[in-house]
Amino acid sequence: MPDMTQSPSRTLSGPGLYRRMAGASIVAQLRYPGTFVIQAIGNFVTTLLSFFGIWSLFHRFGSIAGWDIGTVAVLYGLVNVAFAVAETLGRGFEVFGGEYVRTGSFDRLLLRPRSTLLLLLGHELRLRPIGRFLQGLFVLVAGLWLAPHVQWSAALVLPWAIAGGAAMFLGVLIGQAALCFITVEGLEVVNVLTYGGVEAGQYPLTMFGRWLRRFITFVLPLAAVCYYPTLFSLAHPDPLGMPTWIGALSPAAGFAFLGIMILVWNRAVAGYVSSGS
Amino acid sequence: MSLRPYLTAFGLQWKIGLRYRIAVVAGLVAQMWFGAVTLMAYASVYHAAPDVQAPLSLRQAMTYTWIQQSLFTLLPLGCLPAIGDAARTGAIVYDLLRPVDMWNWWLSASLARLLGNAVPRAVLLACVAGPLAMLVGLGAWSLAGPASLISAALALLSITLGALLSATIVMWWNILTARTLSPLGSYAVGTPLAVLLSGMLLPLPLYPDWIRPFLLAQPFAGITDIPIRIYLGTPIPGGVATGLGLQIFWLTALTLLGRLWMRQTVNRLEVQGA
Repeated sequence: MPDMTQSPSRTLSGPGLYRRMAGASIVAQLRYPGTFVIQAIGNFVTTLLSFFGIWSLFHRFGSIAGWDIGTVAVLYGLVNVAFAVAETLGRGFEVFGGEYVRTGSFDRLLLRPRSTLLLLLGHELRLRPIGRFLQGLFVLVAGLWLAPHVQWSAALVLPWAIAGGAAMFLGVLIGQAALCFITVEGLEVVNVLTYGGVEAGQYPLTMFGRWLRRFITFVLPLAAVCYYPTLFSLAHPDPLGMPTWIGALSPAAGFAFLGIMILVWNRAVAGYVSSGS
Repeated sequence: MSLRPYLTAFGLQWKIGLRYRIAVVAGLVAQMWFGAVTLMAYASVYHAAPDVQAPLSLRQAMTYTWIQQSLFTLLPLGCLPAIGDAARTGAIVYDLLRPVDMWNWWLSASLARLLGNAVPRAVLLACVAGPLAMLVGLGAWSLAGPASLISAALALLSITLGALLSATIVMWWNILTARTLSPLGSYAVGTPLAVLLSGMLLPLPLYPDWIRPFLLAQPFAGITDIPIRIYLGTPIPGGVATGLGLQIFWLTALTLLGRLWMRQTVNRLEVQGA
C-alpha cells in the first residue's frame, strides 16, 4: 500500500492526520465490497420506503395537514441528508461507550498529542449512510421540482441548512458520547434525538403539539435547521407567524448547538476516570 | 420424542430477554417518542381533511400505532443473535451435533427471544398508553379497548399465530445467516422488509387502495397487522376467517419450505474457525 508509512521526523497537521485516518477507514470498508454494496442498498431502500409511507398518507388525504407534497419532500430530504452527513462523520462517537469507555481504550487516546474529538472523528468515516444521503438528495430534488415558488436563494440556503443540520446531529452524537462517561455503556434513549429527530424533522412543525414544537425549537434546534430554511427556500409563509427571513439565519443554531456540545465534551473529558483494564 | 430440550432452549432465551431491564425502560421511552410523533402527525392529517373516508378512523389509527409500537420487538428484524455469533465463530457445529431436531431447537429459541423481548415491553406500553393516558386526561390519544369480547379473544389467538409466524420468518434469517456465515445480511434484508410490510411504518389499511390486497396477502401482515385488525374490528375481506386462514397458510408454507432449505443448507455447510 503506498504512502501508509511516514518517516517519524515529519509530524502531521490535524487535517492531514484526519485525511490519513479517513483514507484508511475507507480502504478498510471497501475490502468487503459485497457487504458494502448490500448495506448501502439496504440503507437506500429503507429510507426510500419511509418516504413511500408519507406519500401514501398524502395520496389518501390529499395533503399532509394542508401542506403540499413538494414542501414535505424538501423537509424530508433536508433532514435525511443532514443526518446522513453526521452519521458518516460521527461513527466514533456513536460506538464510544462500548468500544472506548467500557474497554478502557479511551486512555490510549488521551496519551496521543491530538484533540480527542479529532481522533474520534477519525475512528471511522462511515460509507454506509451514502444510501440515506442519495435517497434524501433524490427526494429533496423531487420536492424542489414539485413545490411552487422555489426561490433562487434556495441554492445557497439549502446547503447552509444541511451544514447546520449535520452540525446539530454531530452535536447530539458528541453529547451522547459525553454521557457515556457517566453511564459507561451507550444509552439507546439518545436514539430519540437522532433517529427520532429525523422522524420529527420530516414533518412540518405545525403538525405537532406545543410541547413538542418547543422541544424541537429551543432544546434541539431541529426547526432552525429544517423547517425555517425550507419555508424560506419555498417562500412559504409560516402559519405560526414567524417572519420568513428567519430561515436564512436560523441554521446557525445548529453550529451553536454543536459548540455547546463540544464544551460539554471538554468538561466531561476533564473529569474522566478510567474504568481500568 | 421428548419436549424437554426445546423447552430448555426456550427458557434460556426467554430469560436473556428479561435480563435487560434498563433496556426495556429505554425502549419504552423511544417507543413513546415515536408513538407521540406519529400520533400527532396522523391527528393533524386527519383533521385537515375531515371529508376523506379513510379505512381507519383516527381513533383506530392511533390504537393501531400504539399496538404496533408496543410489539416492535416481536418483528423478525434479523437472525437470532446467538446464531449469528455461532455462524461467525464456527460454534454452529455444536448445534449440528445435538441429538435434536434442529429446526425445532432453533425455532423454540427464536420464539423465546422474540417473546422475552416483546412481552414485558408490550405490557408496560399498554399500561402507559391505555389506563395511564386516560388518567392524566389524554384519553383521546390513548389505546382504545377491543371492539368486543369476541374480537379480543380472536385477536389473542391471532397474535399467538403471529408470534409463531414471526419466529418462523426469523428461522429463514437464521438459515440465511448459516449460509452466508454473517448475520449482517439478514439484518440488511430483514429490518426494512419487516418494518414496511408489517405495518410498523404506516398502518397497512392506509396504503393506496390498489396495493392493499397484496399487502394483506404477504406473510408479514400475519405478524401484527391481522391481529390488530381483528382487535379493532375493522373489516378484512372475507372476514376474520380469511385473516386466521392467511396466518395458518403462511405458517405452514414457510415451515415446509424452510425445513427443505435448512436440510439443503446443512448438507453443504462449510464451517469456519477451528
